[in-house]
Amino acid sequence: MTLQKSFIAKALFAASLATLASAPALAADAVALKGEPILLDKVVTVDGKASHTLVDPSITHDKVVPGSHLVFITDYRNNGAQPAENFVVTNPLPGAVMLADDGFGSFDVSVDGGKTFGKLATLTITDAKGATRAAQASDVTTLRWTLASVAPGAAGKLEYHGVVR
Amino acid sequence: MKSPQPLFAFSALALVAGAAAPAYAAGTPAGTVIATAATASFSTGTSTTSITSNQVSVKVDELINVTVNPLTTSPVAASSGPATLVYQVTNNGNGNEPFTLTALPNVSGNAFNTTVQTVEYSTDGGATYTVLANGAASPALAPDTPIKVQVLVTLPATATDATTSQVQLTAASVLGTGKAGTLLAGKGNGGVDAVIGLSGGQGTGTASVVASLATVALIKSATILDPFGTANPVPGAIVTYTLVASATGTGSAAGVVVTDAFPANTTYQPGTLTLNGTALTDAADADAGTVTLTGTTPGISVALGTMNKTTASQTITFKVKIN
Repeated sequence: MTLQKSFIAKALFAASLATLASAPALAADAVALKGEPILLDKVVTVDGKASHTLVDPSITHDKVVPGSHLVFITDYRNNGAQPAENFVVTNPLPGAVMLADDGFGSFDVSVDGGKTFGKLATLTITDAKGATRAAQASDVTTLRWTLASVAPGAAGKLEYHGVVR
Repeated sequence: MKSPQPLFAFSALALVAGAAAPAYAAGTPAGTVIATAATASFSTGTSTTSITSNQVSVKVDELINVTVNPLTTSPVAASSGPATLVYQVTNNGNGNEPFTLTALPNVSGNAFNTTVQTVEYSTDGGATYTVLANGAASPALAPDTPIKVQVLVTLPATATDATTSQVQLTAASVLGTGKAGTLLAGKGNGGVDAVIGLSGGQGTGTASVVASLATVALIKSATILDPFGTANPVPGAIVTYTLVASATGTGSAAGVVVTDAFPANTTYQPGTLTLNGTALTDAADADAGTVTLTGTTPGISVALGTMNKTTASQTITFKVKIN
């Protein structure tokens, strides 16, 4: 590395510090991935009408039990100066959570621990005896979102819904 | 009885699973921490980078749920001995919990109320049963592991044939019962909070018994033959008594014995005891009939054994002479 290039790098570092307080210059930190608190879909039934509210159980102390619907949200933001190309986010599904039937379409899923991904309808499960069947939401092990590019300053939310097994 | 029972238990299980949401029937154990983090990979220019988000987590609390299903679906015939009613109790929660098992014999609409003799549970599919006091607690039941509970009941003396009576078994969480959503703070396994589920923390199941009883009717008649060939009850006349026993009802009567004392002022005519036209010896021996000539109540005694409505009526005759 020449002295001149080093100066450029430092200048860039200063520039990014000026605009984004917590974003260091390294590309890895220029893109932030932040898991939001897990939300509970709280269902209150009054006079036969069910109303849903999303609450943070760590604040409201609502109880998460088998059958509870949970909402998982991951925020991404490109704080850097360069677009992040081929932005792929993978999220292993916790073992105790089954993917809820809603919310398909924006992401691919894997039913083999993340080896292969695809739309759920195209995936199959092979059992110990060699028989195959169509994969179901309960078989999903891993989720994957693929964004072609995240422009500098662009941000978004990746959301999926699950049910506690 | 042994071989159909497991089959039935299986279908009952499948029914339960089908009715509830099947996917999380396994139940995440209470206290489990659900934690997850996302990973992203991307390229900027020529370099490819991978980053991981913070980990987010939530703890699973304990859910209290239980179901009781009768495995005895058609009424069990009950007669003199205890009738056995079998139920399946399943802890549908996600913690190890004991449940009190209470058998209630006085269900509204019962024709009669049975008496509960014992409440027993089996954790090995019915091979061995352990007796509990009615209303006592079971040992802690693992989630989604059904146990069998059998209730032995006996009929009251007032039960009439072919009427039915229901027996309700209630399994209630020892931790507590109440409205769904009720919080039992810190009472769950390992000190986690417990929440009463949609079952209200208790389940009930009902099985029924049908009284299978027999009524034995005895009809006695007499014919007189006096020494003059007519039918006047004068000294020296021979009286032939005929006793006809028959059974009705859905059950059977065991050990039926017909006894009849000789009237005063008569003398039994030896060797005249018959059953269905066949002579019986007077002595107490292998045949069904015995004649007692001495003692406080001289008379005849004929053992008819077990009788039910399909048994042909039994006709006993004997003769006495008017002194």
